[in-house]
Amino acid sequence: MSTKHNGPATASTPPSTGAAGGEPAPHDSGDHLALPRTIDVRVLRQDAPGQESYWERHAVAWEPNMNVISVLQKIAAGARAQDGRQVAPVAWDCNCLEEVCGSCTMLINGRTRMACSALVDRLVEEHPDGIELRPMLKFPVVRDLVVDRRRLFRSLERVKAWVPVDGFYDHGAGPRISPEEQEDAYPLSTCMSCGCCLEACPQFTRIETVRRDGETEEAFEQRRTAAFDRGFIGAHAISQAVLFNGHPIGKLIADERMEAVTDQGGIQMCGNAQNCVAVCPKSIPLTRSIARAGRAATMWAIRKIFDR
Amino acid sequence: MAQPRVLVVGGGLAGLSAAMRLAELGSDVDLMSLVPVKRSHSVCAQGGINSVNALTRQQGDNEWKHLDDTIYGGDFLQHQPPVKEMADWGPRIIDLMDRLGVPFNRTPEGFRDQRRFGGTLYKRTAFAGATTGQQLLYALDEQVRRFEAQGKIRKFEFWDFLSPVLDDSGRCRGAVCQDMVSMQFRTFPADAVIIASGGCGLVYGRSTMSMVCTGSAVSRVYQAGAAYGNGEFIQVHPTAIPGADKLRLMSESARGEGGRVWVPRRPQDARDPRSIPEAERYYFLEERYPKYMNLVPRDIATREIFDVCTTEGLSVEKDRLCVYLDLTHLPREELDRKLHGILEIYEKFQGVDPRDVPMKIFPAVHYSMGGLWVDYQKSASGGLEEGSPRNQQTSVPGLYAIGECDYQYHGANRLGANSLLSCIFSGLFCAPGVIASAGSGKKTAADESQRLFTTALRREEERHEALLTRPGGGENPYQIHLELGELMTRVATVVRRNDQLAPAYEEACQLEERWRRCSLSDTGNWTNQNVVFTKSLGDMFPLAKLILKGALLRDECRGAHFKPDFEMPDIKATDPAAQLAEAELWCDRFEENTRRWLKSTIARHGTDGHPQISYEDIDTSLIPPRPRLYGLVGGETVEEVWKKRARKSAQDKGQEKGVTAGSERS
Amino acid sequence: MTPNESSRSFFARNQFLIYRLFSLSGLIPVGAFLVVHLLTNASVLGGAASFQSRVDMIHGLGPLLVPVEWAFIFLPMLFHATVGFMIIGGGLPNVGSYPYVGNIRYTLQRATGMIAFAFIIWHVLQLHWMGEPLGGGRFDPHHATSSAAEVVAPLAISLLYAIGVLSTVFHFANGLWTQGITWGLWTSPQAMRRANYLSIAVGTLLAAAGLGAIGGLRGTDTAAARAVETRMDDQRRLLEGQPPSPLSGTPAPGRPVPGRDSGAEDAIDLRSGSDLVPLLIPEPAGAVAPTTGPAPLSGN
Repeated sequence: MSTKHNGPATASTPPSTGAAGGEPAPHDSGDHLALPRTIDVRVLRQDAPGQESYWERHAVAWEPNMNVISVLQKIAAGARAQDGRQVAPVAWDCNCLEEVCGSCTMLINGRTRMACSALVDRLVEEHPDGIELRPMLKFPVVRDLVVDRRRLFRSLERVKAWVPVDGFYDHGAGPRISPEEQEDAYPLSTCMSCGCCLEACPQFTRIETVRRDGETEEAFEQRRTAAFDRGFIGAHAISQAVLFNGHPIGKLIADERMEAVTDQGGIQMCGNAQNCVAVCPKSIPLTRSIARAGRAATMWAIRKIFDR
Repeated sequence: MAQPRVLVVGGGLAGLSAAMRLAELGSDVDLMSLVPVKRSHSVCAQGGINSVNALTRQQGDNEWKHLDDTIYGGDFLQHQPPVKEMADWGPRIIDLMDRLGVPFNRTPEGFRDQRRFGGTLYKRTAFAGATTGQQLLYALDEQVRRFEAQGKIRKFEFWDFLSPVLDDSGRCRGAVCQDMVSMQFRTFPADAVIIASGGCGLVYGRSTMSMVCTGSAVSRVYQAGAAYGNGEFIQVHPTAIPGADKLRLMSESARGEGGRVWVPRRPQDARDPRSIPEAERYYFLEERYPKYMNLVPRDIATREIFDVCTTEGLSVEKDRLCVYLDLTHLPREELDRKLHGILEIYEKFQGVDPRDVPMKIFPAVHYSMGGLWVDYQKSASGGLEEGSPRNQQTSVPGLYAIGECDYQYHGANRLGANSLLSCIFSGLFCAPGVIASAGSGKKTAADESQRLFTTALRREEERHEALLTRPGGGENPYQIHLELGELMTRVATVVRRNDQLAPAYEEACQLEERWRRCSLSDTGNWTNQNVVFTKSLGDMFPLAKLILKGALLRDECRGAHFKPDFEMPDIKATDPAAQLAEAELWCDRFEENTRRWLKSTIARHGTDGHPQISYEDIDTSLIPPRPRLYGLVGGETVEEVWKKRARKSAQDKGQEKGVTAGSERS
Repeated sequence: MTPNESSRSFFARNQFLIYRLFSLSGLIPVGAFLVVHLLTNASVLGGAASFQSRVDMIHGLGPLLVPVEWAFIFLPMLFHATVGFMIIGGGLPNVGSYPYVGNIRYTLQRATGMIAFAFIIWHVLQLHWMGEPLGGGRFDPHHATSSAAEVVAPLAISLLYAIGVLSTVFHFANGLWTQGITWGLWTSPQAMRRANYLSIAVGTLLAAAGLGAIGGLRGTDTAAARAVETRMDDQRRLLEGQPPSPLSGTPAPGRPVPGRDSGAEDAIDLRSGSDLVPLLIPEPAGAVAPTTGPAPLSGN
């Protein structure tokens, strides 16, 4: 075997960035003349909640196969704005970098999407004058591109998105499920709680609760949760309610879910703009879920009114 | 005593299953994670989860064979009782996940469908599309949310575990952690602490692992005194998509569903791969391993792909090493049904539809077989004693490790679709023992003197403060990480050589020195990712050093650890008698090597910052070690000789155990 | 989960029901009224007599007309508008960032809702007798075609009517489609597509009826129409034993209503409801045929 190459990564691609970044390497390659050698990146920054936001420009050296994550890694590693000023690295969320964890949602050229699957070459094709990065609008900014998406998980709790099993002792296999049912359920189950559907939804508006002076953490959390519970649960949570109401055991608490889905901020808030399904990175049939939940809510309301 | 309180660090499959089982058993649980638990790295697992099932059982499969495949695939480097227990629990775990609503793919009649994975001849792998890890994780996340709604589990997301708090007797009493948003420090008194923080892929820079897989929590308990086992055993996955920021996994299920690996016989054949006729394609795995074909164990597949590109120069591209992974002969509709998730990843990140064009893939660092050393209590039947506080306990009492960050289940090489099983198993299984341990302490953590926690807290605050106030203009942590990753990838992945490992260890030490001089570009105290990363980078060095040291000292080939200088030779003779004689010698050498090296590497953090390496004997009471002969020239002769010896040895011992050696290449 | 039932407002507790009633009211009765109204108006294309006879049928309701108008038209419409404004206030249109067809329709739905609301108020005040104090109330139910034709005679007014009608029709037709999703009538993307064709067809038909009526009125020979109307009015009076109207043949705008406050049983105020109640009037099958035409947008 070769004595030179002993490892996969160095052998397979030119050493460029480490996992969390790399110094903007000097760049040469003239083989992509159509593309700019540096990319103009504008980032909307905010140092902390409640502070003013401001734009910052960065020039990032172009490399083949870049995505927005690698752009941000380079910005973090360089920590200099375009004018040469030393600046703190831009903060952003990411984890898996293969579009299954749902972390890296942000507004890229004005549109909500996952930074990992946003390929730079394609962005530059669409907007030759550079890339604009902003935090999501519908969630409170923590810092720079990092937002607080707690509300999204709270919605999952509101709709009781789980199968109410007795416990974790052995009770044999679960119910038999036809391939058709599985194929129906599986896409809904791939929702990674990224929040794109909520960001693009004109009916979903930001709820930001600020801790008051002297308020205990518990009291603040309670107040924040109560505020969340007045707001729209959003397409993702409606879809999860549909998923679990369709499961043979999950449906045992279907009424409780419908109670939540028709409570304040429930499915009635949907305005049928259908942006959710258009921006969902996993192409989850969210509007189908919403319509199904709408139908179930109709039946449920009739039952509720006439069965008691 | 009051209800025990347990701190679980990490919210992947292992951490979540431990948390929910602990909650079910009545414990209060604090669940801590660097990211919202639903975003844990387990979501990246694609192919499936192994267990014996009704179908394979009728084809002659049983738990013992699952155990045997796992042990054999792992080159006998793991203690056998925990693996036996895991294999026994397999069917129950799949049933449980099924009940929790995981949308496993189904047969037309409505049963769970299974696919075949590497290292076995049975279709043992249940799967949910090509996002099985994600689906399993979500099911557990949902149950944990259910307990959270009831107040039994408290989540601490975006929190960084900094150090365990040990009392004067050395028992773990809790931890010091930091809120990564407000940067506030806080102590978490606990009756037991479970580390479930996953692998340490970031030590290698780019890998198939997620950005949280820094290994920092593991490194911090290692530095606090916990022993680390088999660090040098790092799995390099044969098939990944090379990328600038990450090497994205292309699941083994692509081969499990019929994907074929090949290269053009003519080096760097520029033709469209689809137009290259069959005769001019080199299906090297199929030719070399007619029994397992494309589904040889991962270490073998990785080495073959690496070898065909480097030694034989048959890489598809000249500047970038890669081979074809071809699915184009399979029906699109079936591909979409079974592999949609991974095909979508390839399509999105490479811009090419793998249903039409063969994928270009190359090996990448993927999994850490090694991890924190953990104990177990063996049962009379050869498995584990459920409820024993020793199960999954590290060398620090009251401190546990489960999932990828323990060293227990996969030996020298992990079989595909066994990791999800080991994560869920270790999480569920350890819970009763953890509770027993929590109750066994003389005092519960709540009564423990405040002194311990105040001291520990202050130490972390000081460390943090020192980092923030370093003078500017020093080293760049991202640059150091880049160099560390390149170093590790170069010397400690597929092929390892002592003449590279020894200097690499020195280089790592130098990088660590440079890290001490690095300065931060962000010195603020609000969501400072710069300081969190720099801390975790510092904690990569102890791991990097124990990996390098372990690899340097282990002069043999075993599983993922391949040192060509110590490779067992092929049988070269052609005359049958000479062949037999050579095989006898081969077996002698094998037995000698087993005596010398069939031991776990145990690293302890020395006061000088260097790992102190010792070796631990392995419990092979269930399945005696035998040569792993995948691909060995003359393997069948060796097998013949070996079987004869094994029979004799069995007669000598007066016991009967199924002993077979698998020979491959004809 | 819900903190304290009593601490939440009535609206919060009944949000789902209120929004569903809102959705329903858009179809029944408001939407249904719109359909009948537009088709009635379109009958002007069949001539002044055809339109006049339909208006007469509506006004045949007599004293019931006012309560019927309020119960089935004004109040539901006010309810729909009130909740509608609340919904609009709670949303953040973002069609600039997400210019998808669905989103454009979402935005248009809100814009047309607001236009329709303003238009309807103007329209009612202009034609319905309630607008008389403000100088409106120009529709004369006994001279339906001629009085309406005079109203829309200025081109600007016709254009405003056209905008109002198209907005209202879009709002209704698009609302029909979204309503089917809201109530769960069509759930799959394919079914939604089919339903979409249906609502496009309904919208096109109604738009044609509405614009046809405006065109029909503009093309009306007012004097001839008035002659027809006067003859019909005289016939009616004859049947009812009243003398022919002294004012017959003169334009309606602004004039005092004779007998309005007389209290006599024969002084049924035929103008009181203008043509606001067509939904209760069974339409002769032929007259509803869409192509036969639009008519004045009096009333609603």
